[in-house]
Amino acid sequence: MTERPLPAPGPDAVKSCCAAAYGTDAVALLLGESYHPGGLALTRRLADSLAPAPGARVLDVASGPGTTARLLAAEYGARVDGVDLGPATVATARAVTERAGLADRVRFHEGDAERLPFAAGTFDALVCECALCTFPDKEAAAAEFARVLRPGGRVGITDVTVAEGGLPEELAGIAGWVSCIADARSEEGYRALLEQAGLRVRRAERHVTAIARMVEQIDARLRLLGMTAPERLAEAGVDARALTPYLEAARAAVADGTVGYSLLLADKPGSAGS
Amino acid sequence: MADKARDRDEIFVEYTKSVCPVCKVVVDAQVNIRDNKVYLRKRCKDHGWFEALVYGDAQLYTESTRFNKPGTLPLAFQTEVRDGCPSDCGLCPEHKQHACLGIIEVNTGCNLDCPICFADSGRQQERRGPDTGGYSITREQCALMLDTFVEAEGEPEVVMFSGGEPTIHADILDFVDMAIERPIKIVNINTNGIRLATDPKFVDALAGRNGRNGTAVNVYLQFDGFEEATHRAIRGTDLRERKRRALDNCAEAGLTVTLVAAVERDLNDHELGDIIAFGVDHPAVYAVTFQPVTHSGRHVEFDPLTRLTNSDVMEMITEQRPDWFRPGDFVPVPCCFPTCRSVTYLLVDRKDDRTDVIPLPRLVDVDDYLDYASNRVLPDPELRASLERLWSASAFMNAPTTMDGLAAATANAECAACGIDLPEAAKDLGDRVFMIVVQDFLDPYTLNVKQLMKCCVEEITPDGRIIPFCAYNSVGYREQVRARMSGVEVADVVPNSRQLADVTVESPYGSRIARDGHREEAGEQPPVAPDHTNVGRRAVEEP
Repeated sequence: MTERPLPAPGPDAVKSCCAAAYGTDAVALLLGESYHPGGLALTRRLADSLAPAPGARVLDVASGPGTTARLLAAEYGARVDGVDLGPATVATARAVTERAGLADRVRFHEGDAERLPFAAGTFDALVCECALCTFPDKEAAAAEFARVLRPGGRVGITDVTVAEGGLPEELAGIAGWVSCIADARSEEGYRALLEQAGLRVRRAERHVTAIARMVEQIDARLRLLGMTAPERLAEAGVDARALTPYLEAARAAVADGTVGYSLLLADKPGSAGS
Repeated sequence: MADKARDRDEIFVEYTKSVCPVCKVVVDAQVNIRDNKVYLRKRCKDHGWFEALVYGDAQLYTESTRFNKPGTLPLAFQTEVRDGCPSDCGLCPEHKQHACLGIIEVNTGCNLDCPICFADSGRQQERRGPDTGGYSITREQCALMLDTFVEAEGEPEVVMFSGGEPTIHADILDFVDMAIERPIKIVNINTNGIRLATDPKFVDALAGRNGRNGTAVNVYLQFDGFEEATHRAIRGTDLRERKRRALDNCAEAGLTVTLVAAVERDLNDHELGDIIAFGVDHPAVYAVTFQPVTHSGRHVEFDPLTRLTNSDVMEMITEQRPDWFRPGDFVPVPCCFPTCRSVTYLLVDRKDDRTDVIPLPRLVDVDDYLDYASNRVLPDPELRASLERLWSASAFMNAPTTMDGLAAATANAECAACGIDLPEAAKDLGDRVFMIVVQDFLDPYTLNVKQLMKCCVEEITPDGRIIPFCAYNSVGYREQVRARMSGVEVADVVPNSRQLADVTVESPYGSRIARDGHREEAGEQPPVAPDHTNVGRRAVEEP
């Protein structure tokens, strides 16, 4: 196979039009770096599950442009810290938050999920949306989640799942440019990660429609770009027609459960004390 | 052996008010979910139980409640609260929404006698003489109706001239001019298209008015399908050639057309996908509206328990064009009650060998932005404002507010994808966007005051009232106005359901009316929708 529907990881054409942190990610290219399946509705479901009290301290790991962090502050009254790898992303999140008048309650930090820049026991709750799947050392990240939570604190994650047997053959080739599925785990795999870090998983929910919708959105965006800016798409080395079989395979994988999206809710044993 | 307690086979979800389909008395009603379908049930003391399907997908029905936006107060109300909804129309100060769209019916006469006509219009006067209870409004009346609308709305969004058949009214162009002179943004002509097909000068006269004084003039063309059987069943005659000519004349003159299909189960419900495909390809057509046949006025016999609803129509569209549509491509409109109307917009990609469409809700998280259930902080209030303009009963292609909303929403969709100058690319989307509306009007079976109280599609009456369209058709206002305007007594129309076949007879207009003609008993004219629910008695009798 010499034809590539999307550019191989790394070409400047793609990097130049994507956030650096997502440089080679096709999902980010098409849906934007802040995209995560399920949208605001699933974020609210996650937040409702955590139910942070007013004034509670919440950490958003891989906070992107800060939409979730601001939602937690504005709708739940939480004091939120967001951590993200990319300096530009953090700067954007700060600027938007400043404009929204939430800078006193929402702060952003450059940092790595595998080495969180906070003292142990700092947070009442932690969220991580569609990001654990991309962390190279997931065990280290999960251990960090457990460390920065206070006893009794809660962690909520939503993430892409790939069944134990791995991706079907037709989709194996896209792992190189869809970072979220390259190293995604099964729901049981995420559960084990959290449990090994000393967290107790209280609930796991499947949100298949969230990922099904993502596939449709990617399809729609590709076609929109084909309509309105075909030359830019060509410049970036993207051949929309060659992608069609991959999208069909992705739909099938979602339909048969190979690829999914899950919400997991866990807590750190021990009581908050008084 | 003791009987074992059993569960009901349905879930009770709403308590509301409705009317008896026979005598139009206000009665209590309940909404229940059974087998994932939503039904409204009620009982009249004199006429017994009635039940009708109101939504074919209970999950969609319950999920749609979050698409419910706070109503806007009109600048003026025309009536007072006296007996409660739906007896005080209107609009009374308890109405929850302003009028997105005002309908002016200019006549009851028509150049067709369709078997299906919620307005009970036709050639009755020509055929049976002047005492048959028809009317045409005068210029003075039209002026008063327009002024009433302007007084209530300030700068009204949409006036729709309807009938009868508005294009056969001698003064119709003057009426359009009168609307254009006022601060009204869009004027729609709701027509069967016969005059558009046969009178190119008239088409040019309309086109010449399009854009004058900033007012868009559009055509709302009745268009039910392509099969001769469809035309004969719904219109009583084969109008296919007329429709083709009307559309070609509009295209030539540059008029923007919405195709409006009345859809009846097992009659033309297999033609939905074809109507969309035809519209997408026709240069004059920018929108299709599907309306399950309103079982008010004249219609073919039906079963209220299997009538078509919005969710059925959306499902059929998806089944008939699986290459274009998927579930979730339509989003409820939040200005009226969200189960009344759902809308989608398609971006149309015409290639040499085929046409593709992209439903806008797949590009923008419309459902996130139009979700009003909790007090939320949105990342982009401007995008919500744009989407509100699109998901509205006042949205019409070729209207500046709608087109601006489309450009903004599409630009946003593209901005998320990187690097492309998207507002620029979205600018010339105008002729590549196609709108689809699915609108189920209430009838005397399905009437639910909860929906009525937030209705934003209103009839403007010659006596200066603004009455929710579904109240006008289902509660008795249409009959009241027709009687007052014509001086001829008009009996309450009763739905042509199988259940009521034995207790009704044909009216002079072809609709059904109660066999016993209860209206005449009362001597003087009884009020519209007398209320049996708020009877002014103690809830429990004193001992």
